[in-house]
Amino acid sequence: MQLNFNDESFRDDYSYKNSPGAIKRFPFPFAEDHYMYSVNIEPHTKGAQGSVYEFTFDVDEHYVSECLDKIITLEQDPGRYSALPHMMDAQWDFLELAMTSMANDYPEYFTLTKNGNVWTWENRPLDIMDTFTFGDASTLPSEPFEYMGRQMQGDFVLLDQRDGTLYSDAGIVTSQADWSLAFNTGMSWQEWHGPVPKVTELGVLDRALKYLLNLQVGNPVRRLNWTMTVNPRLDTSPENYPLWAIDRNKVNNETVGELVNLRVELQSLFRLPRSNAIVFGVRCYLMSLKDITTYPRWAKRLHRVQKDLHPDLIEYKGMTSYHRYVIDWLAQFDDGEVLEYGSHPE
Amino acid sequence: MVGSGAVLSVWLIEEINMERGYWIKSKPVYTSLKWHEKATSHLVLATGIGGMAVLKLFQQMHPTQPVKVLYGKYGQMDADYSDTLKMVVPEGLHIHKFDDALLTQFQLELRDAQMGLRIYVAGSEGFIWDVVAAAKPFGIQEMEIMKEQADTLARSVYCVHCKTISKYVTTNITACCGCERMLFVRDHFSRNLGAYMGLMVDAESPGELPAIEEIYP
Amino acid sequence: MSTINVKVAAIEAVTPLIKHFTLVHEDGSELPSFSGGSHIVVTMDAEGRTYRNPYSLMGSPTDTQAYHISVRRQESSRGGSLFMHEHVHVGMRLKITHPVNLFSLSKLAHKHILIAGGIGITPFMSQIEDLKRVGADYELHYAFRAYEQAAFVNELEEMCEGHLHCYADSQGERIDLNALLSQQPLGSHVYVCGPSPMVVAVLETARNLGWPENNIHNEEFSSPPVGEPFKVQLAKSDIEIQVPAEMSMLEAIEAAGVKADSLCRGGVCGRCELTVLETDGGIEHHDHYLSDSEKVSCRSIMPCVSRTKGKRLVLDL
Repeated sequence: MQLNFNDESFRDDYSYKNSPGAIKRFPFPFAEDHYMYSVNIEPHTKGAQGSVYEFTFDVDEHYVSECLDKIITLEQDPGRYSALPHMMDAQWDFLELAMTSMANDYPEYFTLTKNGNVWTWENRPLDIMDTFTFGDASTLPSEPFEYMGRQMQGDFVLLDQRDGTLYSDAGIVTSQADWSLAFNTGMSWQEWHGPVPKVTELGVLDRALKYLLNLQVGNPVRRLNWTMTVNPRLDTSPENYPLWAIDRNKVNNETVGELVNLRVELQSLFRLPRSNAIVFGVRCYLMSLKDITTYPRWAKRLHRVQKDLHPDLIEYKGMTSYHRYVIDWLAQFDDGEVLEYGSHPE
Repeated sequence: MVGSGAVLSVWLIEEINMERGYWIKSKPVYTSLKWHEKATSHLVLATGIGGMAVLKLFQQMHPTQPVKVLYGKYGQMDADYSDTLKMVVPEGLHIHKFDDALLTQFQLELRDAQMGLRIYVAGSEGFIWDVVAAAKPFGIQEMEIMKEQADTLARSVYCVHCKTISKYVTTNITACCGCERMLFVRDHFSRNLGAYMGLMVDAESPGELPAIEEIYP
Repeated sequence: MSTINVKVAAIEAVTPLIKHFTLVHEDGSELPSFSGGSHIVVTMDAEGRTYRNPYSLMGSPTDTQAYHISVRRQESSRGGSLFMHEHVHVGMRLKITHPVNLFSLSKLAHKHILIAGGIGITPFMSQIEDLKRVGADYELHYAFRAYEQAAFVNELEEMCEGHLHCYADSQGERIDLNALLSQQPLGSHVYVCGPSPMVVAVLETARNLGWPENNIHNEEFSSPPVGEPFKVQLAKSDIEIQVPAEMSMLEAIEAAGVKADSLCRGGVCGRCELTVLETDGGIEHHDHYLSDSEKVSCRSIMPCVSRTKGKRLVLDL
């Protein structure tokens, strides 16, 4: 399969667009009319051909432009990459996982040649070719995690496992839904999520943590998460909050279909072999409400989910100021037809 | 006011927020100082009003292992317990005028210390996390250090936009000492930075500021 | 749990009681790399029953050509080690899990104190490779009954150079734990693997000397969600299914062609929850989903990880 990589931007003029093929494979997250939280985690196994689950790391038509956007974000704020010194083994683990899966899944774009410890990596879409010694960071232009993280869509956090918990001790984060890597680096699972007063709630966090502590090499897991973003902006970081928050005021009845994007995160978690660390990947898919209405059942379902959404959740996702426009605009596509279970487009 | 929840919601975290309708909090919990029964030696650090916590500690059954106390008489509220401490602490009391000198001696003590040393700290939140940071290079984790918050409730605030830390913030909203943006002080604390997160308060509606109140006196 | 098919490439009697097995991938491909202190679970198909025993990987974590395990013959055990000693031969095929590490080295430690008793030396052998690679400070204290019965002393002397300290019980040599653990620099971590009295002594000594809990480590193995075989009757589908020892109940239900809902397959999401109608021996709950009181009531079960303690179970499916 040969992709045509889009020439597009995720800032300033926001020329980002989805082709009909990209719309059809969008990981629409709602299988039911009402959105309920659950531990929606499942094995990250190979999905249907052409779907975003087909390969370990999905590469799509936005690949080149997203990597270029990442370069801009890192240039403006080098703090979007950070790695504590004890994470070097995990960095190499990450590089190996990324290079071997990408070369294996997309041989037309990426080639990895191993000659003992001397590896040659070729990334044709980004015009990169480097020969380096595996395990010797001085033979790469940057640290291995940053080197490979720059050549992948989405964000990655490396979690060190110790003291019966997980610490976020490294990350490359340029397309986050409003959390700060610089602030969170070095935090434990509990610290990241804060002390939670109710016992039942503690149970929830402990359950998720226990599951992750038992994550095994070769058995990755994934889940979807969602929010909404005004403009197809990848960098909705708290660092740049003053730059993008103001766009929320631009949403009105006329602009909502174009401006508001459903932002879906495909989160995946892998145990890394040498370091026993976990890599947490967050891949972001953006789709304007207008593009979502390409498929009537998505438009109807999205309308119903948004109409029923708990106000606290609307606030939590930062949608309060424009959410009513979303519901009003989507209403025109909803004829009340009964929809069967599933998130498929048609 | 603030953006969407600035946490990495691995899962279910939103459920927790939704149920309770509040932002994730990660403010550290502090205790009252109490001797560890099992130890080979003890090192107590305090400044200002934190001296009172040390006095209370010495009211408890005195440990059999060696004890050393480093006290900084320089405190925010000018409360000086050094004279009382001289009477209560039998030996191993060291009094410093400034936190910097105290922390320097602390690191010298750690250089020769061995496993089994237990560390206690009492003072302002800023002092507590300065001690944590000084101990870190010696392989001491913050949870091993017993901490009592005394003195001011003032917070160190990390500006997420310009990465400057403003110290001794007593209000819910403060001007960043680096970029001068008006920051809302969130209850989200980083033990690594020893500071709370500050996020621009009027990004969505420039100039519209909620009432500024002194809530961390 | 995905498994790896391996072939026994070599067996060496290290001592009269300890055998060293070299395992290679069945198709000759590379095995996954791992971290020092990892273990695998070996599945052995004995006649009529299945053994699943965890063994530490003792080879170099960077060697992906072969895995190395050592098995001490335990007369009193359920039989896995006897089977490994008596029935496993070169060329035989075995199933193993991916390596799991519940005994990992702390990456923040300034110094590592490793304490081994007898066959408990095995996890340290892969850890030492890791420690040497990163240039970490460590000491290995290895206690055994007598030099004649001690495994790998020569190899260790070569690997550890000056860091190895041996203690032979037959010569009256003992580790003075109190002296050892009261004179370590800040940031030290202690790790112990050996017979349980030794583990208890190390944990107690360290705690009494004021070592923080996070600096004390002892080896743990993962317990696989498998056990004894049993029968499960599905009331609505009106069929009876045999759940073999090495299969989860969920897998057995699926293999019988009955549609069962599931998601995480690790006992956390709650999706596969089934109602228990009857049980003759209670439930072995291995999930993190049900509350303690729900577990006690035995009205629900997570078939992805849990089993019955009895012979028969009736479910509303």
